Amino acid sequence: MRRVTSLVGLTTLWLGAATGGATAQTSQELFQTRCTVCHTIGGGKLVGPDLQGVAERRSEDWIIRFVQHSQQLVQSGDPDAVALFEEFNGIPMPDQSLSEREIRGIIDYIVGGSSTAPAEPPPIEQATAEQILLGQALFQGKTRFANSGPTCNSCHDVINDAVIGGGVLARELTTVFSRLGGPGVRAILGSPPFPVMQRAYRDKPLTDDEVVALVGFLQQADAEQPLHQPRDYGMGLLGAGVVGTVLLLGLYSLMWRGRLRGSVNQSIYDRQITSI
Amino acid sequence: MNVLNTFLFVAFPYVALTVFVVGVIYRYRQKGFTVSSLSSQFLEGNKLFWGTIPFHIGILVVFFGHLTAFLLPRATLAWNSIPVRLIILEVTAFVFGATVLVGLVSLMLRRITSARIRAVTTRMDIAIELLLLAQVVLGLWIALGYRWGASWFAADLSPYLMSLVTLGPETEAVFALPWVIKLHIVGAFAILFMVPFTRLMHFIVAPLHYIVRPYQQVIWNWDRKVIRDPGTPWSRARPNNN
Repeated sequence: MRRVTSLVGLTTLWLGAATGGATAQTSQELFQTRCTVCHTIGGGKLVGPDLQGVAERRSEDWIIRFVQHSQQLVQSGDPDAVALFEEFNGIPMPDQSLSEREIRGIIDYIVGGSSTAPAEPPPIEQATAEQILLGQALFQGKTRFANSGPTCNSCHDVINDAVIGGGVLARELTTVFSRLGGPGVRAILGSPPFPVMQRAYRDKPLTDDEVVALVGFLQQADAEQPLHQPRDYGMGLLGAGVVGTVLLLGLYSLMWRGRLRGSVNQSIYDRQITSI
Repeated sequence: MNVLNTFLFVAFPYVALTVFVVGVIYRYRQKGFTVSSLSSQFLEGNKLFWGTIPFHIGILVVFFGHLTAFLLPRATLAWNSIPVRLIILEVTAFVFGATVLVGLVSLMLRRITSARIRAVTTRMDIAIELLLLAQVVLGLWIALGYRWGASWFAADLSPYLMSLVTLGPETEAVFALPWVIKLHIVGAFAILFMVPFTRLMHFIVAPLHYIVRPYQQVIWNWDRKVIRDPGTPWSRARPNNN
């Protein structure tokens, strides 16, 4: 009996240690894949703030809410969230689909690992000329995204003669690179913080190569902006619409040229009126 | 704000759909002879042409365009991936939308200016015309002001509408859209809601077989001069008005 009890105890201990170890590893992995694009631990500001000591600066609940829905917190007027949002040039933090347990794990990892190993951001890959061309084709859809996501120009415009006028549902992106920087643009493309963009790419995420190509194209578009004179697609659409409408009405008139010009019984009415 | 959004984009669509289905069945079964738009071509025909033809052809094209993007979002996005095809689609849709506006405005002017049409106008006719007018104006506004709707509709609104069909509404993206687009969505469900109470019922009984029906020949098989002669035996009294 004693043997059985000690065996159960040992197994429990081992399982506990194994699970604990697994959680720590997962948290580290999560941190590396989800956070290091924009944050460091003790390595200074990147796109977002340095996370060293974050657990002392903010409550755990606040961190969880901010990580899951940063914009909701900003819009609700939370002073800390608003201050952060303004401090980092209005770059919204992408909503992370992490559970509370996972976020707590990451906080523990930050608290435990900060003193020994500050995280370094991954090097930003510089796009080649080929990749920039690919980004240009991806932006307007000439090359489709591997996961069939909608083209960028469905909603975004960018001043660049190489692409057609983009949509105007979302923000114009010509200067996005200087506004957000490479890491910021990469972070948003990798995990969109905006609900409309999030839904559009939910089951169709961009691949890493596509993100690099698009960032390269946006960087070039930003730098070359003064050299480009794009057409006004809004006025073009209106003009084409007016001309098309007139032509279509003319076509209808031609197609129904044998139509009755008055009501069927007009002549009977007229005859009655004149005979009274 | 979220309560209002939830009402408009979750509750109202289901209410509208239920009222539409139950109302249409009820009216068809109980008042079947009122399921019509009651042609007024006998009363006025010339202005009617410039209203009804652009309006009906336009609204059919625009309606089926929306339906295609809703049912086949991937195909729509694939079509739009070539910029020229996107522009052709958008301009075509805009032109047909504009003819809907031209047709609707001329039908409304006809209703106001023609005494005969005024005489057969009901309050619900005016209500539905105003609703349609608002919907068309919003649609054109969106086409110009938030262009390439053919693409973002397929990317965001198609999943929203599909989520309504599968009874698991996903509304985050819709809540974040500009209010012009939101009004257009609400307008669409409002029109659906109004169908059982208005002349829109006529689309249920659209005479589609007319398209393939052979021409109907109307033959006068008597001599019209003879029957108009008061001296013919079966005319008992000389008409005094014609």
